Order: sequence, then structure tokens, then C-alpha cells
Amino acid sequence: MTRTRFLLFCSAVVFVLSVLSFQLFRLQVTERQGLSEIARGNALRDIRVLPARGLVYDRNGTLMVQNMPTYTISLASRYFDRTRIPLLAEHLGVPESVVSLRLEEAQEHNPYRLYPSFTNVSFEQYSRILEDSYWLPGVGWEIKHRRHYSTNVRASHALGYIGEVNREELNAIDQQSDSSLYRQGDFLGRTGVERGYEPWLRGIPGVARRWVNVYGLEIMSYAQGQGDQPPRGNYDLHLTLDYRVQELAESLFVNKRGAVVALDPNDGGIIALVSKPDYPLEMFNEGIQSDAWQVLVNHDEQPLYNRATMNLMPPGSTWKPFMALLALSEGLLGDEGEEATIFCPGYHPFGQGRFFRCLDVHGHKNVVQALQNSCNTFFFELAHRMDLDVFKTYANRFGFGVEAPTDLREQTAGFIPDSAYFNRTGRYWGKGSIMNLGVGQGDMGVTPFQLARYAAALANGGTLHAPHMVSHLVEPETNERIKLPAISDPSHLGIDTAYVNLVRRGMRLVMEAGTGRASQIPGIPSAGKTGTAQAPGNFTDHSVFIMFAPFDHPRIALAVQCENTGGGSLCAAPIASLLAEIYLKREIPPSWQTDIRMQRALSATSESLISTAE
Amino acid sequence: MRQWYRNLDFATLLIWVMLCACGLIAIYSATHGEAQEFLLNTVQNSFQRQILWLVISTVALAIILSMPMRLLIRMVPWIYLVTIGLLVLALLIGREVGGARSWIYLGPVGFQSAELAKVGVLLMAALVLASRRKENSIMNAAMIAAGVLALPVLLIVLQNDLGTALVFVGLTPVLALCSGIPLRIVGLLILFPIAGYLAILSWQAALGFTVLVGIIAWYGTRSRVWMAAGVVASAMTFGIATFALQYVLQPHQVARIASFSNPEADEYRTNVGFHLVQSKAALGSGGWFGLGFRQGTQTQGRYIPEQSTDFVFSVIGEEWGFVGGILILLLFAALILRLLWLARAIDHPIGNLVVAGVAGIFLIHVCVNIGMVLGLLPVIGIPLPFLSYGGSALLTNTALLGIALACYMRRAEFALYW
Repeated sequence: MTRTRFLLFCSAVVFVLSVLSFQLFRLQVTERQGLSEIARGNALRDIRVLPARGLVYDRNGTLMVQNMPTYTISLASRYFDRTRIPLLAEHLGVPESVVSLRLEEAQEHNPYRLYPSFTNVSFEQYSRILEDSYWLPGVGWEIKHRRHYSTNVRASHALGYIGEVNREELNAIDQQSDSSLYRQGDFLGRTGVERGYEPWLRGIPGVARRWVNVYGLEIMSYAQGQGDQPPRGNYDLHLTLDYRVQELAESLFVNKRGAVVALDPNDGGIIALVSKPDYPLEMFNEGIQSDAWQVLVNHDEQPLYNRATMNLMPPGSTWKPFMALLALSEGLLGDEGEEATIFCPGYHPFGQGRFFRCLDVHGHKNVVQALQNSCNTFFFELAHRMDLDVFKTYANRFGFGVEAPTDLREQTAGFIPDSAYFNRTGRYWGKGSIMNLGVGQGDMGVTPFQLARYAAALANGGTLHAPHMVSHLVEPETNERIKLPAISDPSHLGIDTAYVNLVRRGMRLVMEAGTGRASQIPGIPSAGKTGTAQAPGNFTDHSVFIMFAPFDHPRIALAVQCENTGGGSLCAAPIASLLAEIYLKREIPPSWQTDIRMQRALSATSESLISTAE
Repeated sequence: MRQWYRNLDFATLLIWVMLCACGLIAIYSATHGEAQEFLLNTVQNSFQRQILWLVISTVALAIILSMPMRLLIRMVPWIYLVTIGLLVLALLIGREVGGARSWIYLGPVGFQSAELAKVGVLLMAALVLASRRKENSIMNAAMIAAGVLALPVLLIVLQNDLGTALVFVGLTPVLALCSGIPLRIVGLLILFPIAGYLAILSWQAALGFTVLVGIIAWYGTRSRVWMAAGVVASAMTFGIATFALQYVLQPHQVARIASFSNPEADEYRTNVGFHLVQSKAALGSGGWFGLGFRQGTQTQGRYIPEQSTDFVFSVIGEEWGFVGGILILLLFAALILRLLWLARAIDHPIGNLVVAGVAGIFLIHVCVNIGMVLGLLPVIGIPLPFLSYGGSALLTNTALLGIALACYMRRAEFALYW
């Protein structure tokens, strides 16, 4: 090789490598900015991290609602080793043909991306697959959290269900606030506490900045997690609900339609809220199937309907304490006041004995005795003497005919007539039209929720609290306890305490020597009032009962309404009594009184609406 | 016996060790990490396999260094025949990998016949070129050497391994330069690939090049014939390349060739341009000093296809930056220039040709592979010597290096029997 050729060769080498070095410099230094942006765009993903939805505890700290992980196994067919089909099939406990089939599905979907092929696999199956993941390329997994109800309480209407957020809601949320709050596929509370406390239960999603690989899988955190924002603002709820009371109430409501509302008369905390029939909340866990939804919506007994806060019916004789207080305050009983008596010949003379009948011939009764014996004549006479518009004013003051301040989202205001209503209906009306109102019948409707609030006000001497489900919130990480501000200041009935005590005495006599005798709580003095509301048509009457206990320092006030089961002492009273007892004593000791109440409560049956109609 | 290693060039060996070590680091990084499970099993084991092949290559190196030169020269025609035999065998019973039917399997171990062919073909061509008698024209020997090269090229093209075939074609001007063939012919040989490359880039460049060739040929030779030859040759190359791109090649082949200059274009970036976009992005994100061992997001995210084999240089560029990339280029420059220096120190033409040929083969590989990774050349699948994963390539390249070192170490032996 001559010197020239050697130098030519050497210069060719230097030339080629210089060109390469120059280009390397250009890419790595000059064009660095733009090129590294391509790399970042490839690989940098902000992954939304949802906070765990808040847990729900009852008033004694019993966990009622929690989150349970569900495991999904996904396949990316391009990376899956087909000789491993038997291994995967064995781990999943399915035939190999099923795995092959799912693999084909995944292939059709996108061979390079993980496709959720097996949902709801058990934890054991999931962990076996995880252990063998080295042998199972192209197999991915995902953990989702679903609501799990850990007591055997349903509390469907109190807790409420969750549902997948829909397009309109997403649009609405986008316009209001941060669009990362909800995304397609997220769940939100639709009814009950889940809906009322949605912002606290949900919290604010965080962001995890991650490098992802070409298959979209996370490979490492960005800048040691400095760009990450942890999810925050999710709280656990502590309810005022007592799950034992709720549980007993639900179990006593076999074969019955109706509702129970139990309140703490001292602050308005809801101890139990039952509406029957109900439905298992688990139905909504994965997003409800449309056929299941149709069954719920079209069912004759309307399980989705919250009877506790929405069902309107006349209060029956449970209305009489209200009438007594109205009469005493307005001086309708004349100068003698509480000692004034009204004579009951077994009927009220206004209708010539035909329309306004009493259950018995009571003779001369004062207001306490009239309550004790539930004398209709006495209260017909009070209604005869009252002004209808004053009646309405009082009813509203007692929380009837208006919506209550509460954290429950669903309620109806109920209906209390005034003179304008009767004028509007266009027919002739007189005293006869309104006398029925004195015994809680006729053109009026109240909800069990309102009756319970009324019972609580009678229990505490005249204060109406805002009924609420939640006592406080707890931040799960720091255990910081947050007491939400009161929904509204308590209002007062504006009735002289002496009158309230008089009516309370009458209600105590109801339990001790009146229509509620058979539903006394052994060892605990209580006060109550039975009611029988006439059902329209030829159906059996509704059974209504209000109660509070213990008499001197009441801790629970209840309203129970059983549809089409007969008189108030037959079904509603024993149920209310048992619920009060379990709340106050934390158990129901066996006794003959227990047997009687249990027997009455369980044997009562709501008359079927269908069979009678046929 | 004198210490046999006294004449062994340890500088070259040191460079070889350093390149192999860099390769192992890059391969380890590209095949280990969180996304490892998504790689094929065979790719997951690349690091271990490469170490195994390195051991085999070292043994081969030792054997070659211990062989007397006489024996080696005697073996050349047989090696060539075996090479041709293997190439034919691969066509008959070979396994197709990545579109090329060049793999022969002996049980579980497979090797690429086209890679191994480099040794035999280079030795045979050098032997032919060096053993002409004084009175015969160099051109006669050149014709025979061209035949020696053409036969394996044909077989490799039939195997559909165009990248490797290109290496043999590229070897032609190298051997011509080193064997005393007139420089104007060497110039003509180099002219074809340059004209073809420019034809792909732009017609203005190709036209300018043609004019330039004419001017240089005129001033270089003062001969109208040579000037015309140069102009016609480049114009013809330009014409044929354009014609082939327009009418002969399939659209996907055209896209593959034409996409390298703007792989980011919408019609390319998700398919034929994907390799290059990702490779360039990896280099860009590496910057001056790189992201660090196993920290490259492109590498760890497996965004670059073939990153442990043909695109291993982008792994180095991303994780070790411009500094790492330049170090590799400097090591290759040192290796090739050192080999050329060794070649010049050998008096005998056969040793001369073999060592320079080895340097030429390395130069072609470096030029084509790194040119491709840097987006200067179309994507042509040939490995980067000593760095890319691949047993056959590592063994072949080490053997070539061994032969070069043997020629230098035993340069005194040539005279004994010649």
C-alpha cells in the first residue's frame, strides 16, 4: 500500500467519522430541545390517582360501607406466549378453550394493548398469576375498588347507591370546575348519604407523574415523585345511624310495606331510616344492568321509592297531640283549659251521629284522658272550633306541609290544607269538611320523617332539630375530626312548656293504660300515640305510631308507618317499641312482653295491592 | 521459542475489550427493567447470551492467534468453499428470521451464515488480488476478485439480507484502493454509492454532484474519456435510482428508503419512520451527558425497536449522552486507524490487503449503522461491530480482528514461504 493510498484511506475514515460526530452533536446538543420533547411526549404521563372513597361508620363506630378490591386480568395477545395457555387456565380455574377465546377477543380489540379479559377474579387467583407473572408475558392486571356493605343491614335509602357518571353530568361538571374531578367511568353517589356527601366521600383526585413504556405501562416515577400530587380531601363518614336498630327494623318489616324513622330528640340525629320494600345496594356496584334497573323501576311495590321521607298519608290519631297543643295554645278549650271536658256519646253530634263516629262511648273526658283513650269526639269538637288557617300555621310550625332542613336529599313537603285550598277546589265546604282534620284524616298528607321530627319535638319539650345522617367526618390519614356546621338552627314550636308536658302526660298514659298498653318497653317508661290512617278504596287501614323514650330524658323518638296492615296498635306500635328498646338497652332481653310484641310485629302483613285489585 | 505475544498489538486488543464492554452495558440496560416482561424470552436473555458468545469469540481469537501464517493462508480457499456451502445450505434449510433466510440451526444454537461469510470472502478476495504474477495485469486479478465477491453477494441477496450484501459491495472500493488498482477506477467505484445516495436525497444535489464529478475527472486525469465516464456513471446511477424508486420498487420499500430524511412526516412517523423518530428522540433526550445507566426513558420504555441489536447506539446516546456517543466514535476511529497503521507495517501484499480489508469492513459497518441511527442513511439492518447484540456478528468481527492481529504479529512469516 502506497503512502498516498494509506493517507486517502485514513482521510476517508476521518471524514466519515467526522460527519457522524457532527450529526451526533447536532442531534444531542443543537436540536436537543425539540427531540427531547418528543421523548417526553412519548413517555411522560400524568396518571390520575383517585382517592379511596370514604368509609361509612355507624354511630357506635361499626364499619358499614367499605371499599373492596376487585381484580381484573387483562391480556395483550401480541405479547402473550401461547404455550402458557394451560398455565393461565389452571390459575384461573377455567378450561383452556376459554383462555383461547378471550385471547382471540383481545387480539381483535388491539393485539398490542391490554384488554380486560377476566373480570372479578378472586384474590387467590390474582395472587397466583402475580407470582407467575414472569412466565406469563402479555398478562396484565388491574385492581378496582368497589363498595362493599359489611353489615347485614341494607339501609338502601339511607346510604344510597352509586352510579356511573353520565355525559350530561360530565358536561355540567366541566363547566363548573376542574375537569379532572370526574372522568368517564367514574362513579358518583346518586341517592342517600352517598349523594348528599359526595364531595367529602370522593375527595380530590391526585396526579402521579410517571414514565410509561411503549405499551403504556408505568415504568418509573418522574423526578423521584416530585411532580406527584397525592389525592386528598376524602373523608370517612360517621353516621348517627345505629346499625342494630336499623337491622332490627329491616328484619321486623317482613311482608310489609312502610317506613321507620328514628331520631335522637336531643340533636336530630337519624338513628334509623327504613323504607320497605328495599333493594340490595350491591346491585349498583358495577353500574347497574338495564334489565335489573327495569325490574326496580317497574316493580308494583316501588322499592326505589323512599317511603320514609316521601310517602304521604294522613297521620290518623297520631295527629291528636298536635290538635291538643293547638287547642291549648289557642284557648279553644275555654276558661277551664286543661280541666275542660267534652262529652263523648260515641259520636260527634255535628253529623247526626252518622259521619263523625268515635270508637267507644267515652263520656266526659278532659284533654289528657282524650289522648289516653284516643277519643275522636273530643278532637272532632276541637277541629269544629278551630280556624283552618290557624291550623295550617300551627302545622307548618310543627314541620308539616314544609320541607325540613336536613342532609337527606329526597323529601316531600307534605300537604296541609288551608281555606284557600278548599275555596280553590270549588265545592261548598263547611265545618264538616274540616272536622276530619282533627283526627288526622281527610285532605292532608304527612311523611313518616315529619312525624318522627314531631315526636322528637314532643319528646324534648318543643324544639325542632334539623334531622341529619352524619355526625362528623374523619380524615383517614390524619384522623382529623371535622364537625360540619349545623344544617340550621333549631326552631321552636312556640308552645308553652306546661301544655307540652300535659300532652306528654297523655301520651305516657297511652302507653301505660291506653291503646299502646301492649307495646310498653319493660322497665322503661315511654310515651306514644297510636294511629290508624284510612286507606283510600277498600284497602286495609295503615298502621301508624309515634313514640319516644325514656319518658323523663328521651333519647329516641320514632315514627313507624305500616301500609295496609290494620290499626296502629297492631303493627307499628310493637315495632317502634322493640326498636326503642334495642336502642336504649343495646339488646332485647327475652320476656313475655318481647314475645307479644315480636309476635304482633312479625305476623302483621301488608295487604297486597294486586290481589285486592283483581 | 520466543515469547509469541511480543508482536501482538495490545492497543487494538484494549480497544476491542472496551467496545465489547460498552456493548454489554448497553445491552444490559436495554433488556432489563420494568418493561422486561414485555420482551420476548430470547431477547430477555440477550445479556447472558452475549457474554457466552464473547467467551466463544475469545476462544476463537486465541486459536487464530496461535495458528502459523502458512496454515492460515493454506486454509483460505477451503474456508471460502465452506462459506459458499453454508450460504447455499441456508437457502435450502435455513430458518427465516426478520425476513432474511440466513439462519442455520445446529440444535438450539443458530448462526447467521451471511455474517460468517465475511471472513472467507475477505480472505479469498485478498488472496486472489495479492497472488497475481508480476507480468499479469492487476485488472485480471481484479476481475477474478470481483467474481469471488459477486458469488456470495448473489447468494445473500437471494437470502433477502440486503444489508449484509451491501457490506460486500462496499468492500469493493476498499480492496481496490489497497490493491494498486488505478485510483481513477477506485474513484469510479466510490462514485456509484454517493450518486445513488444523493439521488434519494434530492435531484438538485445529484445534478450538482454529476457536474462536480466531471470537473474533478477533467482536472484529475486531463482525459475526455475519464471525464465522460465519470459524468455518465453518476448520471446513470442517478437515472437508475430514480427509475427504481418510481417504477420498480414496491411502495413500502420506497417509503422505507425515502423516509430517512424526514421520518417525522405524518405519513411515516407511525410506520416506516417510527424507528428513526424514536432513535433521534432518544439521542436528543440524552443531551451532553446522558440520562444515566438504566435511566433513559426511550430505552427503558422500549420505544426504539431493535434497541439491543441494530439501534444499540441510540441506547448509548440516550443514557450516556454526547460524551458517551463520541467516546464510541473515537474508539472506532482509533480501532480503524490503528488497523490501517498495522496494515502499512506489513510488507507483504496479502497481509496488507487482509488487515486493510478488516479495517474497511469495520468502517462500512460503523458508517452505515451509526449513519442510520443518526438519521443520515435509510434504515438498513446491519449491526454495530462489538456493540450490537448478535452472536454470529460478534464471532465474525472478533475473528476478523484476530486475523488482522495475526497478520501483524506474524508479519515476518510471510516471507518464509512466499
